[in-house]
Amino acid sequence: MNRALFVRTWRAQRLKLLICTIAIAAWSTFLPVIYKSFGSQMKALVDSGVIPKQLTDFGGGDVFSLPGAIAIGYIHPIAIILVSVFAVGFATSAVAGERQRGTLEVILARPVSRRTVYVTFLVAAIAFIAIVLAAAIAGTLLGSGLSGVASELPLERLPLLWLNGVLLWAAVAAIGLAASVSFDRLAPALGITLAVTVVSYFLEILGSLWPDAKGLQPYSLFHYLAARDDLNGAASASGFAILAVVAVVAIGWALVEFPRRDLAAPS
Amino acid sequence: MDALTTKGLSKAYGRGAPRVHLPGHAVATEVRALEDLSIAVREGEIFGFLGPNGAGKSTTIRLLLGLLHPTSGSAQVLGLDIVRDSVAIRSRVGYLPGGIALYDSLSGEALLDYLGDLTGRPSVRRPELLDRLELSARTLRRLVRDYSRGMRQKIGIIQALQHDPELAILDEPTEGLDPLMQRAFYAILDDLKAAGRTIFFSSHVLSEVERVCDRVAIVRRGRLVALQEVATLLEHRKRNVELRPESSDDVPSLEGVPGVSGLARTADGRLTCQLEGDVGPFLAAIAGHRIADLTIEPAHLEEAFLELYEDAEPDSDDAQTATQAQPPAPTEVAR
Repeated sequence: MNRALFVRTWRAQRLKLLICTIAIAAWSTFLPVIYKSFGSQMKALVDSGVIPKQLTDFGGGDVFSLPGAIAIGYIHPIAIILVSVFAVGFATSAVAGERQRGTLEVILARPVSRRTVYVTFLVAAIAFIAIVLAAAIAGTLLGSGLSGVASELPLERLPLLWLNGVLLWAAVAAIGLAASVSFDRLAPALGITLAVTVVSYFLEILGSLWPDAKGLQPYSLFHYLAARDDLNGAASASGFAILAVVAVVAIGWALVEFPRRDLAAPS
Repeated sequence: MDALTTKGLSKAYGRGAPRVHLPGHAVATEVRALEDLSIAVREGEIFGFLGPNGAGKSTTIRLLLGLLHPTSGSAQVLGLDIVRDSVAIRSRVGYLPGGIALYDSLSGEALLDYLGDLTGRPSVRRPELLDRLELSARTLRRLVRDYSRGMRQKIGIIQALQHDPELAILDEPTEGLDPLMQRAFYAILDDLKAAGRTIFFSSHVLSEVERVCDRVAIVRRGRLVALQEVATLLEHRKRNVELRPESSDDVPSLEGVPGVSGLARTADGRLTCQLEGDVGPFLAAIAGHRIADLTIEPAHLEEAFLELYEDAEPDSDDAQTATQAQPPAPTEVAR
């Protein structure tokens, strides 16, 4: 890892990081409040049959329990977009964006290997994701405290939830960076990573709402973000392992592909 | 010792392109951007690397810096292999890319600090370079996005030279500089040379190459066509001569004088000819005659350059060498 490159990356992203951190903390504060305010009414509605039962397991979450409400917060598009700013946006533009602007060759004219550049951007991406998800945990703690449900929160399992989130988004970021080092332009790198993320999300949500599509869920990365299970003490080691394997494969690809590529003069 | 050597260095693009092509679509073929380049740049010299767009100049530079991988051949920079020791090479080299892209959101000072930190060597020459290129502290505090083209180029030059590299690779370094700054830059090059630094200099501006370079290599369509001392290259160029005798009764006879060709007489009595090589025989032939005016135009690199290209087929837009192209043999390729 290169310290100067990391510091420059940090400085370039810090405002974005601050905004996303505050936003996700606010969003995560909101969910325990929703659970406290509407959880029992929603359960009564579902029990009465007014709301289809399938809607009670949206993306592996619900509003009838605090862990379920927190899980909804993690799979909700708002959280997905906020973390994607770094896992997709930053990761894909890290190398391909520099290449497109022509600044990559200014970096690579220095005594910095391509692998070092890649590892620096990877560490930065994971650090940004880890900070945003830590803010989500902080928001959850705050929201639980404010709404008086802190006693229902298994504090000792929050680090596991954070780790699960970091692993999922690190896998997405690794895919984004692998795409980023493979193209000279941002558009294809962004397109591929967005496609993987959106299709993956669609498969998970579709499977959670439609029993016939349940078989598609294991093909989704989001299926292995089991926030409710993490908080209920039913976390699956295989889910963590699958996310880790996806990340490792993407990292391996990038570490092999990036140094091998020809970086012709920008056209 | 040589600062830079290449042996049969070649680069082809488009390998593995599909062999089956749809009707109406351009056929992708292997394009040889650089073929069998063998040059040696001596330590402490200013070496000009010339060629039109697409001749292979940038490909060569990018190969030397490890941005491209050679298809065949080898090269050493400061005694280090360009494939195995690329990072070590870049710690001792300064590079100015052609049309350099900079970080617009940084101030000039922050940018130079950042690039200096990436290099990992103290920016010992920066104050002197800022002074000579007339970049004030106030200017450096402005964002790069507000800089003119010339100011960006100055920043590009400073970032390449601020850490006092042993070898500077400069691609079109005076692009965008006004004539005064060009002179300041030439003076910087002279000082670097005096300090024993080596400059590998790529340019389209033949007059400046002629002004600053000790030797030049000329590439055409990926192949080396000449590598000579600038002085030697010019020595063999024909110079235009115009001579006006004081009287039409006292005209020197230049027929058969060694080096003189194209002799002609204008209606107003002037003699014109071309002179090649040693001027001694010519001067001896006109000695004793009363000459009202004599002009011998200096030879220019441009003429040598054009002569080497005059029999070339027109280059395509990217002008890269097709596999079948057969450029002429190098002219006096020698160290």
